[in-house]
Amino acid sequence: MRIHNLKVSVSGVRGVVGDTLSPNLIANFAAAFGEYVGKGRIIVGRDTRPTGEMYENAVVAGLLSVGCQPILIGIVPTPTVQILVESNKAKGGICITASHNPEEWNALKFIGASGIFLNLREAAELLNIYNQPDRVYVEESEIRKARVIENAFDIQKKKIFNQIDIDVIRKSKIKVAVDCCNGAGAPYSKDFLEYLGCEVYPVFDKIDGRFERKPEPIPENLTELSRVVKEKGCAIGFAQDPDADRIVVMDSSGNAIGEQLSVVLATEHLLSKTPGPVVVNIQTTKSIDAVAERYNSKLYHTPVGEINVTSKMLEVGAVIGGEGGSGGVIWPALHPCRDSFTGMALILEMMASRNKSLEDILDTIPKYYSAGEKIPCSAGKAVEVIRLLSAKYADASPNLIDGLRLDWDDSWMLLRASNTEPIIRIFAEALTQKKANELVEKFVKELNDIE
Amino acid sequence: MGSFRLGIAGMRGEIPSLTPELAINFASALGTYLEGETVVVGRDTRISSPMLYRSVISALMSCGCDVIDAGIISAPEIHYLVPELKAKGGLLISAGHHPMGWNALIPIMENGANFVKVKLQEVLDIYNSKRFLMANWDEIGKIKIPPKNVQEGYLDMLCSKLDVKAIASKNFMVIADFCNGSGTSIGVKFANRLGLNLLSLNGANSGQLPHDPEPRPRAALQTHSVLKPLKGDIGFVFNSDMSRTSIVTSSGETLSEEYTFPLVLEHILQKSNKKIKVVTNWCTTKSLDDIVKKYDAKIYKTIVGESSIIDKMNEVSADIAGDGSGSVAFSNHILGYDNLLVMGLILEAMTTQQCSSEELAASIPRYHIIKKAIKCPSSHGYNAIKELKNVFTDAEVIEEDGFLFKWKGGWVHLRSSMTEPIIRMIAEFKSKEKAEDVSTQIRGLLDRYI
Repeated sequence: MRIHNLKVSVSGVRGVVGDTLSPNLIANFAAAFGEYVGKGRIIVGRDTRPTGEMYENAVVAGLLSVGCQPILIGIVPTPTVQILVESNKAKGGICITASHNPEEWNALKFIGASGIFLNLREAAELLNIYNQPDRVYVEESEIRKARVIENAFDIQKKKIFNQIDIDVIRKSKIKVAVDCCNGAGAPYSKDFLEYLGCEVYPVFDKIDGRFERKPEPIPENLTELSRVVKEKGCAIGFAQDPDADRIVVMDSSGNAIGEQLSVVLATEHLLSKTPGPVVVNIQTTKSIDAVAERYNSKLYHTPVGEINVTSKMLEVGAVIGGEGGSGGVIWPALHPCRDSFTGMALILEMMASRNKSLEDILDTIPKYYSAGEKIPCSAGKAVEVIRLLSAKYADASPNLIDGLRLDWDDSWMLLRASNTEPIIRIFAEALTQKKANELVEKFVKELNDIE
Repeated sequence: MGSFRLGIAGMRGEIPSLTPELAINFASALGTYLEGETVVVGRDTRISSPMLYRSVISALMSCGCDVIDAGIISAPEIHYLVPELKAKGGLLISAGHHPMGWNALIPIMENGANFVKVKLQEVLDIYNSKRFLMANWDEIGKIKIPPKNVQEGYLDMLCSKLDVKAIASKNFMVIADFCNGSGTSIGVKFANRLGLNLLSLNGANSGQLPHDPEPRPRAALQTHSVLKPLKGDIGFVFNSDMSRTSIVTSSGETLSEEYTFPLVLEHILQKSNKKIKVVTNWCTTKSLDDIVKKYDAKIYKTIVGESSIIDKMNEVSADIAGDGSGSVAFSNHILGYDNLLVMGLILEAMTTQQCSSEELAASIPRYHIIKKAIKCPSSHGYNAIKELKNVFTDAEVIEEDGFLFKWKGGWVHLRSSMTEPIIRMIAEFKSKEKAEDVSTQIRGLLDRYI
């Protein structure tokens, strides 16, 4: 059976190069986006994928055809595009990146005038324009000239450095290894950390977009980083994904402590200085609850997806937030977007200002063990399962904003149906591995018992 | 009225009828035809050119073609560059003589010539099938920059065909109007090599057309107005990509672009002592036939269009080829119109014949020519012209390309344009009155048929 690898959806357009993701599709989508946001400046950035330049050309052609002015900022992290949209007062931004997908994929991510991703409603409107049979192309006299901005990352860097205590980090001279996955973080991470006085050991910092490890920064893909951390005696290791919006932390013994703890560490640090609302997505570790409680701060959960978290953060005036399950740290003081550089700066500032090791800090945060399973399940059955279980476990404060989350004092469980496959995912956390496994087993059984 | 054409002259159209989507499909068809091999891509200065340029680069890369990015480049330069860089093909985005708001995608073969009909048909078949080559992520094309010295190489080639020393000794005062097109850079460098005292008009890379880019006499107003006060020796009015030229003489007379080719030909025939073969189309001035007769040269006629002319030149091993739009090509040179060399040869003619441009113009036979573009939907054009056969029963009719009506005192050629929704009429007679009478009569008849 032919596998259809093109996804045109509210999260943008994503597909496999050489198969479904044609230059025409990309030019057409870019033109539709230009029509949607209106004639004006559009920031265009991309990650290091070898196919980025080809799609960049198509995006520029599409934007020009509808009277927009593309501002090209080259190979940059996704957050840089978002920040530049805001600082340039642009109409919007397009980021050419397939994020953590393998090399053969590429995609467009769409950013609105406020510098955050299009929300569900906006994305649906864009899709509606894209699906119209005709584009509203402009006459030749209305075609603008594309512009290039060199050193766009400097704007982001300055913004971060203006808001952290550089001197205290510099004094600590922290030894750091950073794994850029040969992605969009590669041209910038070493300089960024060196400016903070770190002794830096880069891993996979080429910009050819050939990923020498699997692009998701999950522990099993970070063996090279682990080796370097141990060999060089680093105090901490960082791993980015190919578009450098996610960050994962590794301790000095070379253990990746998981995607969940990046936002927890950043939250611990910021709340200890200024308590305030925290927003995370529903698949974020329960460790964050303890941290929020410690600083008398209110914790909000949102559906999964950066735009859901940032929207809620803006609504409640959050001081920090993010996406536990994907290493996303969002610091609205900088910009409402996931940014690996912000994550690195905040965690280093915490280590330096407390003069403590990463391990010492982690010891003060309750550690949860996780387990997961996926079960074949039709979309219809998934709805039924969630309805039944939310009633059955009414005493476990069921949260239904995105799947079903159940919370107990020292554990929690999330059931979510996949958007792309007929499966349902069970994820659980508890204070011991055994308990986490038991929780998953219990719900697998519950699921199987429901006809 | 349709403002889009796809055919032997490539893809042409008015923005926004010519969209990135169509350009991507056309370039994808070319990249597929060229099997993912290297392609030289260049463009003119028109405002829509960067948009189309981006479109075709993306499409070619997707086919797996490496792209040699020649940037802003004149037509003769890309004809030179493709074989010089051993590329498999080329694609020029250049609107040439088309008015503001138009653009064109012109595919070029491995040998540097525009695509010939049969081969372009294959490209168009691929275009229509929409089944394009799509390279895998690790095999998509790369963008390359041409070597720095290629422009110098081309200038060397031009100069090797001319008596540069003699021309330079004359210190000619030349006015050249580049139409804010792609020829300024190469044109100025060439003028330096020839030791000209050059005043370039409209030499900005802006793509803002200062006048109609077809080098008809009406486009020569600016050149005309400065030539006499500055005591210029000659003025050249180029279209926006150096493939057409008309001449303003030292007396201030603006010559019809029809006389550009005869002037060059006369000089070539004088220089040469062998039997020269000449190619032109069916609607070029009789002046040319007269000159050919005078020097006992041989003339071949073919249908309108650069690719047909160049193809015929290759087929019969002709020495020179050109047409009445003010375009000339040369054997053992690039396979395309080269109006830089036209400029060089006319200056060489003035040098060797020790004469002014006014005298040079006086030396060739002249007729009265009326050229008109009559707006007409493409679908109506063919039949409207055919109707005229029933009116001009006294004329000899040649139906090789449109309709050529020949009488003793002159001729009228009518053809539905391949590139625009117009009927092109050319009437040439010995007497001005007769030319005007006939063209007025035809316009009246066509208005009725359309």
